Amino acid sequence: MKKLYWVFIVIILFFAGDRLFGWVLKQLTEKSQFRYSRLYQGEAAADILLVGNSRGLIFYQPHIEKITGKKTLNISYNGMPIDLAEVLVKDYLEKYPAPKQMILDVSMCDRLNKSLISGFNLYTPYSPRMYDLVHQNDTTGAIAGKIFHIYRYNSEIFQRSMFYLNKTDEDWLLDRVINDAMVTGITNYKPDTIKIVHRDTIRPEDRKERLFKNIVSNLTSSRNGEVEYVKGVMEHLAATVEFAKSKGVDVQLVINPYYPPYLDKLVNLDQLKAEAEKATGMKVHDYSNSVKDRAGFGDYQHLNKAGSMIFLDKLMADGILKK
Amino acid sequence: MIFNSIAFFVFIGIFFPLYFALKGRARLFLCLLASYFFYGWWDERFLALVAFSTCVDYFVGLKLDNTEDQPTRKKLLIASMVVNLGFLSVFKYFNFFIKSFQEMLLGFGYDGSMHSLKIILPVGISFYTFQSMSYTIDVYRKEIAVEKDFIRFSTFISFFPQLVAGPIVRASDFLPQFQKDREFSWDRVTAGTGQIIWGFFKKVAVADSLAPFVDQCFQAPETFGSLHLLIGVIFYSFQIYCDFSGYSDIAIGLARIMGFDFPDNFKKPYFSRNYSEFWTRWHISLSSWLRDYLYIPLGGNRGGTFASWFILLVFMILTVFLTGWWWLAVIYVLSSIGTYFYMQKSDYNNKNAFNYMNLMNTMLLGGLWHGASWAFVFWGFLHGSYQVVQRLAGPIWNKFLDAIRTPKFFKDMLAMGLVYASTCFAWIYFRAPDFDIASQVISGIASLEAFNFGSVINKFWVIKGVMVIGILLFVEILDVRFTLWKVIQSNPAFRILSFVLLLWAIAFFGSFGANSFIYFQF
Repeated sequence: MKKLYWVFIVIILFFAGDRLFGWVLKQLTEKSQFRYSRLYQGEAAADILLVGNSRGLIFYQPHIEKITGKKTLNISYNGMPIDLAEVLVKDYLEKYPAPKQMILDVSMCDRLNKSLISGFNLYTPYSPRMYDLVHQNDTTGAIAGKIFHIYRYNSEIFQRSMFYLNKTDEDWLLDRVINDAMVTGITNYKPDTIKIVHRDTIRPEDRKERLFKNIVSNLTSSRNGEVEYVKGVMEHLAATVEFAKSKGVDVQLVINPYYPPYLDKLVNLDQLKAEAEKATGMKVHDYSNSVKDRAGFGDYQHLNKAGSMIFLDKLMADGILKK
Repeated sequence: MIFNSIAFFVFIGIFFPLYFALKGRARLFLCLLASYFFYGWWDERFLALVAFSTCVDYFVGLKLDNTEDQPTRKKLLIASMVVNLGFLSVFKYFNFFIKSFQEMLLGFGYDGSMHSLKIILPVGISFYTFQSMSYTIDVYRKEIAVEKDFIRFSTFISFFPQLVAGPIVRASDFLPQFQKDREFSWDRVTAGTGQIIWGFFKKVAVADSLAPFVDQCFQAPETFGSLHLLIGVIFYSFQIYCDFSGYSDIAIGLARIMGFDFPDNFKKPYFSRNYSEFWTRWHISLSSWLRDYLYIPLGGNRGGTFASWFILLVFMILTVFLTGWWWLAVIYVLSSIGTYFYMQKSDYNNKNAFNYMNLMNTMLLGGLWHGASWAFVFWGFLHGSYQVVQRLAGPIWNKFLDAIRTPKFFKDMLAMGLVYASTCFAWIYFRAPDFDIASQVISGIASLEAFNFGSVINKFWVIKGVMVIGILLFVEILDVRFTLWKVIQSNPAFRILSFVLLLWAIAFFGSFGANSFIYFQF
């Protein structure tokens, strides 16, 4: 029996430390200057909201602010899927006065990314909508984050928030030029297809998983049920645009530039564009081939700082960005 | 069922109370049933294979015990080998051999299109096949007594903690432990739990945290700079170590709780100061298996047999035809001529030449054991070469270090660095999907293009990787210097503190995607 006391001591110590460290990590997250920490702490009011995945990070905020004279918030992130963007946009629009503009790069509708969504576990205490999304994509992770508080901070998102603890994340942009190996390698590159996940093409195993998750989630938590994992990417895009419009935001949909020889290998970009236009009832401004100079690219899919300036000036000249 | 899954925790949550509640044959039945359930969780069709293999070796064992006639005994042994290696060949190597043969015919200008089979590779087939074979060989050699109890023998072959990824436990070590009921012991529970938690830390916090960065490097190496690729290779060396040794730790810990003692499978291999030492610290159960059942029968360091020449010759011919590396044929012919003349000179050189050949054969077959691919064979070839070069150049190297009066500490560090660097070089071939990718990784690193931290993509993965590797090395160095595990075991306060710290580290650093273990594919 005495031995069992040791087991209890281990459990008590573990949870006491978990709560203590969890509280410390929460304080640090809230103090961070990382974009999502600012968003959920009420410090991110902006006139222009910029949305995308890593390709959306080329909306270089200092330059936009210089040419438009307006305050910006870029909520783009590497590999960000549209369902996560939908949650962030909705949370933003409910927390802050509506921005004048929202520019969204629709090429982010190329994936659903469960693992990245799990990484946003640290923001679930501030947003029931975010909790629902994490719960629907990573049920175990969401529940584990409720039981073990330090587990919420087990992600790249938390590490980034610590990196930006005392400095801004608004001026980061890829600062390299595409290398020779990639330039020559593109000739051997196989044609690339953007995966557009439709409501009716979600894999059967995901459906099974979803059924299991729905059962678990009904048993373990209350959900507001607003974000549906069963939606395809275009439904999420439409919902995001519709919500922003309902708040009076001027929404602009664009496709950011690709490295031209890589663009030639992309077989269904037009399909993505057509589906996005059909789903939202809006024109998608196609800038996929708008930067041609190799020196403007960091790799096949991303502009560098020099390329970004060229692209943003074009957006300004075409009236997509407004003063 | 994999250890890092919820299903496994439910499984052991039911298994352990039942295990300690039962005694005698009931407990043995439970072990067998649980092991088959554990293995069948992947695919119930796999069970037929392990059951058949068990039956063959059980009955061959009985027959061997009943006859003293040497030719009959030999035939029985061959029958067992044919069945075991036959299964392995069909399920693991059939398509590889067909593809290799086709490519060889193409090399001669013939279009030899042949059908390959759609075969699923049964998880862990190499592990239980080797375990089963070692039993039959030991009975044949009369080194162990035959096991007449079928249930006990079946449990030995299919024992779930080590069934799919080892350690490969010898019958002489394991079967006697079934002779009496293992009593519940708190000391064993705490020691086993500690080892399990450490194994989980290695797997979910270290190996799985490094995996995404490594995967990215080996998917498209041309897109990354030199430093990025170098970090990828270093991370892979720790990923594979922690993935595999983590599994072994969990397996040994589970067995310890159940009352069984398994030998260590890893002993901090990256602290090795020479290649022979490395193979006494890395995957010990396989390297000792290969030593006892392949290297020594081939002659070991005492001399050689016809098989020593023949195996090496087959490997060389196949490699030359399939890879088109004609320079290898030239090296082989020249070294054969050289070896022949050396052998004429003295008995000493005769032994050495065969010793090198036996070493190379063992490493080549060890490489092939890992998977049906020439990349694994080449990995084995590299390790064989390291050992041959070490034996040839080692004495000169040591004399050189002695001459310049190098302090022991620096000598050790230099030796460890050399062994680690060359091991990492070999890992590139082990990890890369083909030789082209391996060459791209090596040339990418050697180009020294973009050798700065700024060019590294996904720095946050790197930071996390460095942190978890730092914790791992810190604990391993403490263990080397102060026998940390003994201190932890002997002091309840230390034990509790270490458990709690490790659990926090797992919660904070762990990746919980139920990623499979790398060695399952072998």
